[in-house]
Amino acid sequence: MKRIQSLALTLCILVALTTCVFAVSEEFVVYSDKNSSDNHYIASGWMGDHGDLKLNDQSMQEPQSGKTCIEVVYIAKKSQNQGWAGIYWQNPANNWGNKKGGFDLTGMTKITFWAKGAKGGEIISKFMVGGIKGTYPDSAEVEEGPIELTDTWKQYSINLAGKDLSYISAGFAFVVNADMNMDGATFYLDEIKYEADPDVKPQGRKKEDMPFYVFADRGSINNHFIPSGWMGDYGDIKYNGGSNEDPYLGDTCIKIVYTGAVSQGARWAGLYWQHPPNNWGNQDKGFDLSQATKLTFWAKGAKGGERIEEFKVGGIMGEYSDSDSASIGPVILNPEWTQYTIDLKGKDMSYIIGGFCWGTNVDVNPEGATFYLDEIRFE
Amino acid sequence: MRSGLNKQGHKVIKSQGHKLKATGRRWILLAACSLFFLFFLLGLTSRPKPRVYIRTLKNKHYQLIVEGKPYIVKGVCYNPIPIGESHEYDWWSDKNKPWIVDGKLMQEMGINTIRIYSCGENPEDVKRVMRDLYELYNIRVIVGHWVGLWNYPCPSYGDKEFQQKITKEVLEVVELYKDEPGVLMWVLGNENNYSCLGRVRPWSTEKIDNEPDPQTQIFMRAKIYYSFINELTKKIHEVDPDHPVALGNGELMLLDVANQFCQDIDAVACIIYRGKSFGNLFNSLRTTFDKPIVLTEFGADAYNAYDKKEDEGMQAFFLESQWRHIYENLANEEGAGNCLGGTSFEWSDEWWKHNESDPEGWNIHDTESFWGQGSYYIDAKAGKNINEEWFGIVALSEELENGLNKRTPRKSYYVIKEFWRNPKLKKDDK
Repeated sequence: MKRIQSLALTLCILVALTTCVFAVSEEFVVYSDKNSSDNHYIASGWMGDHGDLKLNDQSMQEPQSGKTCIEVVYIAKKSQNQGWAGIYWQNPANNWGNKKGGFDLTGMTKITFWAKGAKGGEIISKFMVGGIKGTYPDSAEVEEGPIELTDTWKQYSINLAGKDLSYISAGFAFVVNADMNMDGATFYLDEIKYEADPDVKPQGRKKEDMPFYVFADRGSINNHFIPSGWMGDYGDIKYNGGSNEDPYLGDTCIKIVYTGAVSQGARWAGLYWQHPPNNWGNQDKGFDLSQATKLTFWAKGAKGGERIEEFKVGGIMGEYSDSDSASIGPVILNPEWTQYTIDLKGKDMSYIIGGFCWGTNVDVNPEGATFYLDEIRFE
Repeated sequence: MRSGLNKQGHKVIKSQGHKLKATGRRWILLAACSLFFLFFLLGLTSRPKPRVYIRTLKNKHYQLIVEGKPYIVKGVCYNPIPIGESHEYDWWSDKNKPWIVDGKLMQEMGINTIRIYSCGENPEDVKRVMRDLYELYNIRVIVGHWVGLWNYPCPSYGDKEFQQKITKEVLEVVELYKDEPGVLMWVLGNENNYSCLGRVRPWSTEKIDNEPDPQTQIFMRAKIYYSFINELTKKIHEVDPDHPVALGNGELMLLDVANQFCQDIDAVACIIYRGKSFGNLFNSLRTTFDKPIVLTEFGADAYNAYDKKEDEGMQAFFLESQWRHIYENLANEEGAGNCLGGTSFEWSDEWWKHNESDPEGWNIHDTESFWGQGSYYIDAKAGKNINEEWFGIVALSEELENGLNKRTPRKSYYVIKEFWRNPKLKKDDK
C-alpha cells in the first residue's frame, strides 16, 4: 500500500513539475510590473553616458498593461563624452559576465515588448538580447534597430528562433545616441517578455532594400554606418557629421578637415564608416546589400583641387571580412557639389561591414584638405 | 570497256589493249593524289595538341591539360636561400643541390609544381634543376620573368627601346627552356600592375604627365603596360606553342583594362593575401577579365606576432582554408570553375628578408613584423602581424645536413598533404 502511495505521490510531483516547466516554456518575463514576482532581470547595466539617463520602473504614465511601466529619460548631454547611452537588464544585478547567473531560455523564439515615445519620433539605436562577454558570456547576441517610436503604445518583436539561448544573463537592453536624439528623448517600455511561439522561424540575413544610406543627414534613422574607422594619421582628421555649411540635401552634410600634420607619422589618413562601430571584421554583423548595383555620393572641396586618393566600399579584412570591395580614385574635388559613383556590378555585396571609406595623404595635399560629403547611399 | 564475272564471281575488267592500261594508270594516279590530299587535310586538322594547354569545358569551366591529362597545380613558390645568404645568392649553382632534398620532401607531400620568379644566370644550371626535379620527382616548373620591374632606373613601359630590351630577354628565356619537359607555363611579371598605380617602381611618359586627371593617368599607364604584355604574349606563342602564358598581377587591380588590351594572355597568375579565403576573387574575375586563374602567390606566416612565438597551427589553419577555397573553384566544382590551382608562398623560410642590406641580419630569424593585415585575424591584435621571414611550410635550422640547412616540415606541410589526398570541400560537409 505504501508503495502505491509513494508511486502516486511521485506521479503527482512529476505532473506538477511538467506543468511548471510547460508554463515556463510558454513565456518568460523580463518586466511586467514593478515588484512583480514574474520579473527575472534587473535594469542594472548602465552604459555610455549613464549620467544622461534616468529610469523609473514604476511609472504610472498610462502603462500599456498592469499598474506600472518603465519610463526612460535621456537628456543627450554627453555626460561621459560618449555620445551614446544604454541600459542592460541583467541577472544577477551588475553581472558583466563575471558571475554565474542568467537563464536557459532554450525554446523561446522571440522577445516582445511594448514601447512609445513621449512625443513620437524618438529614435532608439537598438534593442538587444544577450551580448555580455566575460568569464560567463551570453550564448547569443541579437539586436534590432534603429527604431523610431510613435506617441502611442506599439508592440515590437525580435526574432530569436534558431539562436542559442542556453545562457542569457542580459535579458534585454536598449541603446540611444545623441546624434539621433539631439534634444534628448523620453520614452516608455512595458511588458517585456520572451515567448515560445512555434510560428516564428529562424531568420536568414535580411536582404536590405534600396536605397540604403550610409549617411543621409545628421541623426537620421536612415544612417546605417558609423564613421568609427579612423586610420593612419587619425589626429589629422576633424570630423563634423552635422555641418550646415551649404549641405547638398537636407539640413546637414559631413565636413572633414584633414590637416596633413602627420600626427602619427603615417603621412596618410582615412576614415571608414563601419557597422557596427569599430568593426574591423571581428564582429559577424554585416548587411546584405546584394541588391545594390552602385554606391553614389556627393562631394566637394572647400577650394577645389583637393585630392582624395580613394573612395571605397567594403574591403575590411578580418575574421568576418567584407564580401568584396570596389573603389574609385584618385579624385580631384571640384569646389561645387559633384556626384560620384562606385560601380558595384558583378561585386558580391552580400556581407558589408565597411559601408564607405575615403583615404588621402599629405604628399598630394601638402597643405591639408577640407572637403564635404553628402547623400552617401547604395542604390 | 566490257565487264563480266570470273570463276570466283568477282567482277573483272576485260582488257582492250594499251589504251585501257593507260586509263587504269590514270585512275590509280588520281586515287593516290586524292589519298595524299586527304592525308594532308587530316594532317592539318589533327595537329598534335600542345604539351600544356587550357581547355574550356562545356560548362565554361577552365581546366589545365598536361600531356593530355587534367592537371591541378599543387605547388609552392621556391627560393631556397640558405641561412646567412641574401636574395642575390645563386642557389641554382649550389653544389649541395638543395632541390634534390627539397624535391623529395615535396614529392612526399604531393607537390607537383614549383614557381620560380626568375631563372638563374647559367642556363645549364637551370636546366639541371628543371631536369632533376622533373625526372626524379615529376615536379614541373612555372617559369617567371620580372618583365623589368626591378630594373634601374624604374621600368619605362612606354619606351619602345625598353620594350624591345625586355622582349629580347623574355624570348631568350623561352627559347632556352621551352623544350625542357618540366616546364609548365610562363608567368610575365609579378605585381607589375602596381607600378601603373604609382605604388611601386613608378613610371610615366610625357603624354601621361600632361594629363591632368589622375584616374586617366592610371588608365593610360595600364593600357601601355597590358598592351605590351599582349604583344609579348603573341611573340611567345609564336616561339613556343606548347605552354600557356600567364599574366602576373597583384590582386585583380586594373584587370578591367587588361580585358581591353591583353586578350591574348592565356591565364591570370594572381598574387593575393586575404586571410582564410579569397573572398569574391573567382567570380569577380569572371566579370572583369574572364580568363583562367592560377594563384601564384598566397599563404600565411608561421609566427604569431601577438603571442610572439612560432605558431604552426595558425599557418596550417589559413593554408588549409585557402586551399579549400582554391579547390572549390576548380573545374567541375560548385564555384566559378576558373581556377587551375596555386603555388603557395613559400617552400622554406628566408632569413634575409628583414633587412636585406645587413649581412649580419641574414643569420638571424627576425620576428619583427613588416606590415599588418587584419584578415590574418589570429594575431591581428598585434597591428603589424605579417612576418616575411616565416612563410615557409618548411623551417630551416642552422644545423647542417649534407651541407644544407636542416629542413623541418611545419604542421601545414602535413595538413596540406592530407588535404590534397582527401580534399574535403564545403559541399562534402553538408
